[in-house]
Amino acid sequence: MNRAVFLYVGVLAVVLASFSGLVSLPQLQLGTIQPLVDANGNQYPAPPTGLVAEGRSVYISLGCIYCHSQQVRPPGFGADIERGWGTRRTVARDHIWDAPPLLGTMRTGPDLANIGVRQPSDNWHLLHLYNPVMTSPGSIMPPMPFLFDERPVEVQVPYDALAFPPEWSTPGRVVIPTRRAKALVAYLKSMDKSHPVPEVVP
Amino acid sequence: MTLIYLFIFGSVVIAGLTAVYGLVWAVRDGQMRRFSAGAMSIFDDEEPVGRMTDAFPGEGNASGVGVGREP
Amino acid sequence: MSSTGAAVSGTDRAVLERVGWRGDVDGSCQVPVGLFFVSAIAWLMVGTVLALLASLKMHVPGFLDGTDWLTFGRVRPAHLNTMIYGWGSMAGVGVMLWLEARLCRVRLPLQLLLVVGVVLWNVGVAGGTIGILTGAQTGVEWLEFPYPWSFLFAGVFAVVMAASLMMFSGRREGHIYVSQWYLFGAVLWFPFLYVMANALIHGNLATGVVQASANWWFAHNVLGLWFTPIGLAAVYYLLPKVLGRPIHSYYLSLLGFWTLALFYNWAGTHHLIGGPLPAWLITVGVVGSLMMFIPVTTVAINHHLTTVGHFSRLRVSPTLRFVVFGAMSYTVVSFQGSLQSLRSVNEVNHFTHYTIAHAHLGVYSFFTMVMFGAIYYIAPRLTGREWASARLIKVHFWGTATGMAIYWIGLTWGGWIQGLKMDDPDVPFLDIVRYTVPFLASRTAAGVLMTIGHIAFAVLAWKMFAGSGVRLVGPTLFTSRRPAAIPGGEV
Repeated sequence: MNRAVFLYVGVLAVVLASFSGLVSLPQLQLGTIQPLVDANGNQYPAPPTGLVAEGRSVYISLGCIYCHSQQVRPPGFGADIERGWGTRRTVARDHIWDAPPLLGTMRTGPDLANIGVRQPSDNWHLLHLYNPVMTSPGSIMPPMPFLFDERPVEVQVPYDALAFPPEWSTPGRVVIPTRRAKALVAYLKSMDKSHPVPEVVP
Repeated sequence: MTLIYLFIFGSVVIAGLTAVYGLVWAVRDGQMRRFSAGAMSIFDDEEPVGRMTDAFPGEGNASGVGVGREP
Repeated sequence: MSSTGAAVSGTDRAVLERVGWRGDVDGSCQVPVGLFFVSAIAWLMVGTVLALLASLKMHVPGFLDGTDWLTFGRVRPAHLNTMIYGWGSMAGVGVMLWLEARLCRVRLPLQLLLVVGVVLWNVGVAGGTIGILTGAQTGVEWLEFPYPWSFLFAGVFAVVMAASLMMFSGRREGHIYVSQWYLFGAVLWFPFLYVMANALIHGNLATGVVQASANWWFAHNVLGLWFTPIGLAAVYYLLPKVLGRPIHSYYLSLLGFWTLALFYNWAGTHHLIGGPLPAWLITVGVVGSLMMFIPVTTVAINHHLTTVGHFSRLRVSPTLRFVVFGAMSYTVVSFQGSLQSLRSVNEVNHFTHYTIAHAHLGVYSFFTMVMFGAIYYIAPRLTGREWASARLIKVHFWGTATGMAIYWIGLTWGGWIQGLKMDDPDVPFLDIVRYTVPFLASRTAAGVLMTIGHIAFAVLAWKMFAGSGVRLVGPTLFTSRRPAAIPGGEV
C-alpha cells in the first residue's frame, strides 16, 4: 500500500466515525433530557448547591471514584438491587447535572449511588471517614484523619465532636470534623436515586 | 431514534462501498503484487536477510556484525 | 573495549557518520530520542514507587495515611498518569520517531522543537502529578491532570505530529512499510482524541452521562489507537530485523491494520456495560470489541509464522525476549478483552480486580515489555555503545516477566471470585473485601519483583546514556561475534 492519500483518508474516517457514534449521536439523543418537576415545583434531580456541591469536589479531590462506583445495574444483571444498593437501576436522567459524572469502575468498596438512603447518619459517615474499621470491621478503605482536627478536651465537648463507639473512645481528646469532612458527608447523604423516573417501568 | 438508525446503517453502507472501491483500486493498481517487496524493504546489503542484528553484550555466541566499514 | 564516562561527543558522531545512511539517521535521532528515553525511564521509576505505595495501601490500610497527599485516591491516579503520560507515551514517542526516521530513511527534523517539547512534556507530567497529589485532580479517569496542563501537552503532541508528517512526506523509501501505517495512524489519532476529549469533558461540549461515553471513547482509544499501534509497529519491525527474516505474510498485515482501525475505535463503551446509557451505545461497544478477534488473530498468525522455528534465538537476543513476550501478551489480553465485553462475562468481572489484571496485561505485559525490547535495540544505535551487563538485562527480564505473571494470575483468580461473590447477594460485602486481601498482597509481591527488574533497567540506562558502556565497532553492532547462520544458507 503506497498511496499515502488512502492512509490519510482511512485513518481520519475511522476516528470520525467512532466520534460520531460514541459521542455526537449520544449527545443528540441525551443532551436534551430535563429534570422532572412535581406539583410543588421540586426538581428531580436537583442541581447540587452549597455544601453538597462542595462535598462533591472533595469526593473528586480525594479520589473516591477509584474504589467506589455510582451506578445501579438493572435487575437480573449482577445483584446490585438485591444487595440493597438501589430500588431501581440508574439512568441518564440521574446524571444530567453531573460534570463530570462519577460513575466509577471499581467496587473495592460498595456502590454509593444511594448511600444517602442506606446511611442517613452524619456520625456514621464521620466515623467511617476517620477510621473505616470502626464502622466496618475488615475494611481496607484508607483512614482519613486529615479530614479532622484533634484537640485535647476542654470544659465543654464541641457540638460537632465525633461520638466514638465505646471500644474506640479517646478519653482526653476530641475529634472535630473540618469543613471538608462536613461537606463530603453532606454530599454522601444527598445521594438518593430512589425517585421514580419514566424510563424505568416498576 | 430513526435518525440514529439511518446514521448507523448509512455509515455502514458508505464504509462498505468505500472498502470495495479501495479493494478494486488496489487490485487494478497492482498493490497486491508488490507484497513481498514490502516485507523485504527493511533489509539491504548492510543488514541483509539471514543475519541477526541483536545479541546480549559480551556473550559472543551469535549475531551479525554489520558489513559496513569499521573505524 | 571500553570508553571513559564522557557524554557522546562530536567524535562519536563522526564514528556513526562513517557507517552509512543508518548511522546518519541514528545520529540525527541521538539527542531527541535519547531524551525521550531517559525521561521515560525516569518516570517509570517514579510510577513504580507510586505503584508500590498504592498496592501496599490496599492491604495495609493505615499505611502512610496521615496526609491527604498520600491517600490512596490520589496515589493511584498519580501512578496511572505518570505511567501513561510519563513512561508509556514518552517511550512510545521515542520509539516512534526513531522507527519513522529509519523507515523513511530521513534524518529526524525539528531537533530544537523536539528537545523543547521533551522538556515541556516533563514539566507537564511533573506539574500534573503534583496537581493530583495536592488535590486538584479532575475526577475523569485517564485525564486526571488539572486540565490547564492539557494545553501544554496538546502543543507538544502537535510538534511530534509535525515531525512525523514531515518525515513521512519527505520519505526516500518508496514503499510504506507496515509499521509506518500503524505509526501514521497513532500520530494522527492520539492528538485528535486528546484535544477532543478535553474539549468535550472539561469544555462541557458533552453533558451528563455523555461525558462518560466520551471519557471511555478517549481512554480506550489511548490503548487501541495510541499504545497498540506503536507497540505493533515496533514488533512488526523488530521481529524481522532481529531475526533477519521478513514478515511472513504482508497481505495479512494489511488486513490486520485496517480491521484494527475500523473496529478498535468502537470498543470504548464496553467500560460502561450495565451503566446508565442507552442499550444501543453499549451494544455497539460490545460488537466492536468482539470484532477485534479478526485483527488480533491476523497479527498473531503473522508474528508467529515469522518467528516459528527460531524461538531458540530468544536465548541470544534481549530485544527478542521482550518483544516476543510482549507480542504474545498482546494476543492473550486482546482475546481476554473481547470475551470480557460479553455481557455474561462482564456481569462477573466488572468492577473487580480482574479488570485491573487485564489492564496491566495490556499496558505492561504487552506495551511496556515491547518498549523495553525496543529500547534495548535502539539505544546502542543512538549512543554507539553496548549495554553494560548481560546479567543485569537478564535480571530485568526475569524480574518483570515473573512479576507480571504473578500479578496477572493473582488478581485474575482473586478478581473473578470476587465478582462471583458480589453477584451473590447473600455474601456480605465485607466478607468479599476480606477474601481479596491475600490476592492484593500477592500483587505487592509481584510488584517488588517488577521493581527489581526496573532498577536493573535504570542502572543499565544510566550507564548507556551517561556514557560508560562499551564502545561499538560495527555500523550498528557488537564486537567479536560470528554471524548467525540460518538454515537454508542465506548468509
